[in-house]
Amino acid sequence: MAVKIDSEACGHIENCPVQGLCVKICEQGALIEENGDVTIVPEKCDDCDLCIQNCPNQAISKA
Amino acid sequence: MFNIERDGSEHRVLSYKDKNCVGCGICTEVCPTDSLRLGPTVPIARGLIEMDLVSVKEDSCAFCGLCSVACPFNALDLTIDDVSVKELDIYPQWDKGSEISDDCIYCGRCYEVCPQDSIIFKRELPDRSELVRGEIDIDDEKCIYCSFCADLCPAGAITVKNVPTASNDVVNNTIEVDVSKCIFCGVCKRICPEKAIREICATCMYNEEIEVPEVTGEVFIVDDTCVSCSWCAEICPKDAITIAKPFEGTLELNEIEADEKICKGDSCHACQDVCPCNAVEIVDGKAVTNLDFCNLCGACVTACPQNIREVSRTAMKLDNIKSKSWSEILDSLLVGK
Repeated sequence: MAVKIDSEACGHIENCPVQGLCVKICEQGALIEENGDVTIVPEKCDDCDLCIQNCPNQAISKA
Repeated sequence: MFNIERDGSEHRVLSYKDKNCVGCGICTEVCPTDSLRLGPTVPIARGLIEMDLVSVKEDSCAFCGLCSVACPFNALDLTIDDVSVKELDIYPQWDKGSEISDDCIYCGRCYEVCPQDSIIFKRELPDRSELVRGEIDIDDEKCIYCSFCADLCPAGAITVKNVPTASNDVVNNTIEVDVSKCIFCGVCKRICPEKAIREICATCMYNEEIEVPEVTGEVFIVDDTCVSCSWCAEICPKDAITIAKPFEGTLELNEIEADEKICKGDSCHACQDVCPCNAVEIVDGKAVTNLDFCNLCGACVTACPQNIREVSRTAMKLDNIKSKSWSEILDSLLVGK
């Protein structure tokens, strides 16, 4: 099912208070940093929702 | 860590020690003015963010001390005119703590297992020589410094130096036995190709007379940082440790398959990361909590992104609650009240 990112709310690494907390907290490699932005790799997502819960901008939700 | 203060007819200071905080959020639940905030516990536990677990809004804090009273882990402390409310008779007191009895033999297992490094431990073992009797002697005239004995000695008691130097081209060999280490086992004597070692073991002969020396030591639990997990008490082979936990109750995993609210085990392990008690283990892809080690703090409950962990506290060991309003707020931490 994976997750989706609200592009307007997202800090796009650079403006994220933690410079990509979702990327750092996802141990499945389902959220990766690519060209200074966050990319979702849906097939790797395990729906643990850690990224949703911890995004400082509340930019991530269920797809 | 923070320190906020208010001056009035009394001088009140609320201080917070992050090193003692477990991120349970009990203080935020009981604060009547909603002045305390729990930070992102999982990223903090994983070292992704460096910040205190709890922060305070100084403007709205009423300095009532309820957070300080309710915190079971000595992370918050309100002082009135430099006296902690935890010391004042009119404030509630926790009936929890730890005790180590004289049955302790200083094995140190509690020290190894404590997840908070809250146990101070040291011990003094007797010299091996106090437990055995015997004699050993090496004949320098016969010894050829082959080192068979030194290499085989199970106690590491024999030292052989057999490297001639240019300045001393004749012989520069020595062989020494450290009798404080020797256990008179006889291995050296048996392997010696030159029959240069004389060794007699008399331990069996004097078995009755050899007094077994006492192992002495010191062990104590630092109550300030102890989180009452009971690992020490559970692991102690002599049942010498008693831990009085702050809460009674249970903790369950309530998965709701229909809503896909299920534990993701290894891919998440948020509960395991925040647990101050080392009570959670991922078994067959699910988080399993050992209630023997759990202190029912509830840190895992807030950390779980699936929101499927439920702590049900049936009692809290906080006595002497004289205020009715405080009693009502504190009871909200319990089920069915």
